[in-house]
Amino acid sequence: MVRSKAGRYAAIAGGVLVTLLFLFPVLYMVSISFKLPRDIFTVPPRWLSELTFDNYVSYFEQARILPRMINTIIVAAGASAISMVAGSMAGYALSRLRMRGAGVVGGLILASRAVPPIALVVPLFLVARKLGLTDQYITVILAYVTFLVPYVVWLMRAFFRSLPPELEEAAMIDGCTRFGAFFRIIVPTSLTGLVSTLIFCIILAWEELLFALILTNDRAVTIPVAIAGIAADTEKGGLWGPLAAVGVLTVLPVVIFALAVQKYLIKGLADGATKG
Amino acid sequence: MIGKRVRLGEPGTAWLFLTPALVLLAGMLLYPVFYTVWVSLSDFDLATFQPSGWVGLRNYELVLKDPGFLESLKVTGIYLVIALPLQMVLGFAIAFLLNVEWRGRGVLRALFLVPMVVAPVVAGGVWRMLLDPLWGVVNYTLGLVGIGPIEWIGDPTLAMASVIIIDTWRWTPFVVLIAAAGIMALPGEVYEAARSDGAGRWQTLRHVTLPLLVPVMAAAFIVRWLGAVKMFDIALAATRGGPGNSTNVLNLYIYEKGFRSLEFGSASSMATIVLIVTMLLTIVLFRVSHRLENRW
Repeated sequence: MVRSKAGRYAAIAGGVLVTLLFLFPVLYMVSISFKLPRDIFTVPPRWLSELTFDNYVSYFEQARILPRMINTIIVAAGASAISMVAGSMAGYALSRLRMRGAGVVGGLILASRAVPPIALVVPLFLVARKLGLTDQYITVILAYVTFLVPYVVWLMRAFFRSLPPELEEAAMIDGCTRFGAFFRIIVPTSLTGLVSTLIFCIILAWEELLFALILTNDRAVTIPVAIAGIAADTEKGGLWGPLAAVGVLTVLPVVIFALAVQKYLIKGLADGATKG
Repeated sequence: MIGKRVRLGEPGTAWLFLTPALVLLAGMLLYPVFYTVWVSLSDFDLATFQPSGWVGLRNYELVLKDPGFLESLKVTGIYLVIALPLQMVLGFAIAFLLNVEWRGRGVLRALFLVPMVVAPVVAGGVWRMLLDPLWGVVNYTLGLVGIGPIEWIGDPTLAMASVIIIDTWRWTPFVVLIAAAGIMALPGEVYEAARSDGAGRWQTLRHVTLPLLVPVMAAAFIVRWLGAVKMFDIALAATRGGPGNSTNVLNLYIYEKGFRSLEFGSASSMATIVLIVTMLLTIVLFRVSHRLENRW
């Protein structure tokens, strides 16, 4: 669209500049995480100062970062797995199968995506407490299912709709049941859609804070809760280095992961926006 | 029983496919929603830790008189009204900028994934450092051109601005990527036609490109809206709702009421109000977006 050569170069330069601007906070966090306390507060800010790993080491044990990472992985994996199975089956039914009441049920499932989590926290907390299920993986996993299942249904329904129906019809003529056709034909052909949806699920669960904050207090505490704790301590003074270090540790795996599967992610975003 | 057009066994199969999702959502979403409404209509007994007597709309009356709640309604409204359009405009503008074809285009696009996967609570913490009035890089940079120093987090208005800046940093890339996909998918022939009709660059943008992008804009806006009404973690990590109540968005205020002051009754009635308003506004947005898509 930009026609002149000068305009083209200006647009490229602008694009690079904007991208760097958006990356800057992350790079800044990395740099703070390696700084000594006295170097954090220097004005003008120094990029190259004495490197230290203290921020990583000192808080790693104290804030029990490793166990909390493992908690977060377990919860994210569990919630994503359950939501992917239940959500893609429902998405398939809504995109393909005719039945009475489909419109209503589909509408309700999709509408559930607009239910704000804050409307669920009081009962989830009270019921979990009553059943003695607070601070357990399963509780957090089931809480995450409330926002992941509608999300998966939403994305996968659109994805399945874009597949030709002849695909499973051929299999069913050959004697496959609907279940067989779904798991043997539809799932393998939808791998791109499923993978990108799964990645989004994992990321959403990885960074969730509200449910984790009210449902965990010790054993099942996830990384975002730990960070919120450090951030609150920071207000009392001085923990900027450790906060940055834990931030880097939290963000790094996801960034590497996201960049490794960027094609799926970008395609998933595009499909979600254009096929919905 | 079985209609002519419906194949044998299909309705049953459909329900089987739906059962896992329906059971999960009924148990974890529908039941809690009704529970919230129930708590909002009862007196909460902290001794037994459950709702006891029915009090009708008393909690609602109290909540609607609570200045903190009204303030946080206003704060949330301001946040939504400024942040969402800002992110949409920035997102589409950047997507156009990134659309120029060159070798690095794919790399830049991939890098825009990075802010998107920074956990909001981390984003809040990092920006607290960037915006620190004394040693933050933002004030230092502004100081170089003679602006400031600015009390980003300490001043009520600027604290709101800070929350919006952080949220915009975190979420604009999402709009950028959706917009970029939409722009790439635009049909090339239309542009040939526009060019041969002698349309200028701005005319093409206004009368060809933007109308074609309306469905993508509507979809991006709705997804952003659904995310923004849940905003909680950025405000918690960056400002804790302060100073005063100036950035106390509803989710944060309700959380504090419920889990710090243990006022479950009023927390639940506020949550119910938020639920109803969110659902109504979402329906309106869906209607509008469908109408826009059909018009163009």
